[in-house]
Amino acid sequence: MILPILVVSLLLLCAGMASAQLTATANHDHITVDFFYHGSTISVRGISDPGTDLIIKIASEDGKQALRKKGKVGGFLWMNVGELEVEHVPKVYFLHSTRNIEDILSRDEMNRYVIGYPALEKYAKMNTTDEAEKDRWFSEFVKFKESSNVYGTSSGKISLVNKDGEQDYYILTEWPYQAAPGKYTVTVYAVKGKKVIETATSNVLVEQVGMVKSFASMAKNNAATYGIIAILAALTAGFGVGLVFRKNGGAH
Amino acid sequence: MYLYLPVALTSINILIPVGLGLLVGLLSGLFGVGGGFLMTPLLIMFGIPSTVAAATDSNQIVAASTSGTYAHWRVGNVDFKMGLYLLVGGFAGGLVGVEFIKMLRAMGNADFVIKITYVLMLGIVGAYMFIESLSSMRKKEVKEAEVQKESKVRTFLKSLPLQTHFEKSGVTHSILVPIFLGCMVGILAAIMGVGGGFLMVPIMFYILRMPMHVIVGTSLFQILFTCIEVTFLQSYTNHTVDFVLAVLLLVGSTIGAQVGAIFGRKLKGEQLKILLAVIVLAVTVKIVFELTLSPSLLLSQAGGH
Repeated sequence: MILPILVVSLLLLCAGMASAQLTATANHDHITVDFFYHGSTISVRGISDPGTDLIIKIASEDGKQALRKKGKVGGFLWMNVGELEVEHVPKVYFLHSTRNIEDILSRDEMNRYVIGYPALEKYAKMNTTDEAEKDRWFSEFVKFKESSNVYGTSSGKISLVNKDGEQDYYILTEWPYQAAPGKYTVTVYAVKGKKVIETATSNVLVEQVGMVKSFASMAKNNAATYGIIAILAALTAGFGVGLVFRKNGGAH
Repeated sequence: MYLYLPVALTSINILIPVGLGLLVGLLSGLFGVGGGFLMTPLLIMFGIPSTVAAATDSNQIVAASTSGTYAHWRVGNVDFKMGLYLLVGGFAGGLVGVEFIKMLRAMGNADFVIKITYVLMLGIVGAYMFIESLSSMRKKEVKEAEVQKESKVRTFLKSLPLQTHFEKSGVTHSILVPIFLGCMVGILAAIMGVGGGFLMVPIMFYILRMPMHVIVGTSLFQILFTCIEVTFLQSYTNHTVDFVLAVLLLVGSTIGAQVGAIFGRKLKGEQLKILLAVIVLAVTVKIVFELTLSPSLLLSQAGGH
């Protein structure tokens, strides 16, 4: 199966050190989800000032997420013990950097641009007021998202090449099939002296197409017809196989 | 080969649902159970959201139980009259059970009741069937002592009004008995979120005294209608039936149900019961482990049960 390869090209065009002009160009910004879709890849490339570090954030829009919490009941039984509501967090959040983020960016800047899990936690609103509980459940939230392949961080995977007084950067990253269709933002931060000095953004659209889109939209918008078709198809398949077995002498 | 599922919003290797369908369809054709208590957790294990897994499973059970009912009907092993009375009770019980769960959810302890009901029901039914089948396979004499005990229950059942003869099963009962039992199973099935085949089969055997081979066909007939109702309601109200996943599952399950029906005719009633008891007990042990061992993740997707 040939996976569609998405190339998001972001060009950081710098006219000078003090007045660097930033533009972003996306070459392919449309991932189509058909029946054979099993995730994709995204490559982000561009140019930045030599000597700058880079952070690339790929995220969905912020929203509210509700998850079930497991806890001990009666001291020994693990059961669902309520709901965790987390607001102002993206459903998908990937962060790639040239070096360890803590080494290249100050805590204030991380919070300001919502870069890294601690900044995400600070920005998030949860249905618990206790700080220790908030810490504990946010780290469980990240663990859950990472196990679902929709949150992730990496450092040192962005390749940098200095050429003609400019710095070319490039990263090829996996795009998980678990990421739901929707609009995603790719933001590139150029970092120097523990501060963000430039940003460039581009959008990636993940969209269902063809029969996948028809089924999804019918399930939502024509639910009764969809249900009846599903039942009739199941009845027909059951009878059909029964008849095949009868013809083949499957019965006594 | 992978296929993308439009409602589950995930991609799956097609061999997984086809293989799972084959396995659960086989059990369905053998024992007359829908297999929801096995299939739904397995689908969740393979990354299908819990709400989609439960709803889509009922869609594929429609196909498997059609295939199984048809196979058993051809050899005269479906008691439609008994099935209809059980069904009437089952529908009523389902409505009561759904209301009961709503009430529990409002009180905030639904999950505890669901899990405990699951473990108790599976454990009691599995253990009873296992011990009873084993002892009756070993020594037939035990049955004579049991007849004395059962006579009181039988006298009570015989004293009820509206007695009717169920020709296919060769038993006579008041129509109130299958309606009441169907209702009880319906309530429990709604609480546990399953079709209730594994509860219905032992009830048909131990209380209604139906022959094992007629039980399997009749249970499948009843499950077929229950799952048609559930599939429609899940599609209409929750939009959680994934048609593509259902098709992959039913490819396996319809064939499995036929193969199961063929194997079932070669096995004795006691052998069928003991096999079902072992599977039910294995699932009980798995749930007990899940309840007592520390989970790797303390969060899960909301929805489902």
